[in-house]
Amino acid sequence: MVFLHSMIISEGVPIFNALQRFYGIGPNIASRLCAKLTIYRTAKLGELSQKQLTQVQQELSKLTIENDLHKSIVDNISRLKDMGTYRGRRHAMGLPVRGQGTRTQAKTAKKLNRVERGFSGARRQG
Amino acid sequence: MRATCRLLTRSSWKGPYIVPLPIQATSIGARIPPIKTQARSCTILPNFVGLNFLVHNGKTYLPVHVTEDMVGYKLGEFSPTRKPHLNGKVMQQKKKK
Repeated sequence: MVFLHSMIISEGVPIFNALQRFYGIGPNIASRLCAKLTIYRTAKLGELSQKQLTQVQQELSKLTIENDLHKSIVDNISRLKDMGTYRGRRHAMGLPVRGQGTRTQAKTAKKLNRVERGFSGARRQG
Repeated sequence: MRATCRLLTRSSWKGPYIVPLPIQATSIGARIPPIKTQARSCTILPNFVGLNFLVHNGKTYLPVHVTEDMVGYKLGEFSPTRKPHLNGKVMQQKKKK
């Protein structure tokens, strides 16, 4: 078990996949981080040296990920709502924000758009 | 990130979209009547802060008080043009009132 920035991940997981378990890190940022620290992307967490792990830890602490990112998203939406903009209003109603139609479908917006966006959704766990 | 979004919407050499509005120089203590306008696409400039507007929504003029956060948005964003669609229980509650 390796403790990485608020998450416990088992040693057999490749670093490229382990990084992507964090909310806010996708394949793009994960591969860039690996390249920056010169870690082979299929290297498993257990194979990394302690020095490399602390380097990864440092890089992770620089990024806005997980709860910080969730919070900033909610802040941005609630700022729009408090101002009384159309976009904030649409978020609160759970309808599309950017002028899409609602006669049919609009499923994604109804599923996701709300002021407290992101917190209630399914969270990936290591 | 928001700064780039703002840039992506409009070429920067054009500057913000401005409509000539009857804004007088504000003297302290004097009450300024709200500015009635149909220019929903007018960008809110820093010197609009604290002013009251009446922004047309296609039917009536809705009051908009400009705060600091609103700079950079358009006047029309604060004056909704559509009635919320209500039916069932909500409608009955409204009728009772």
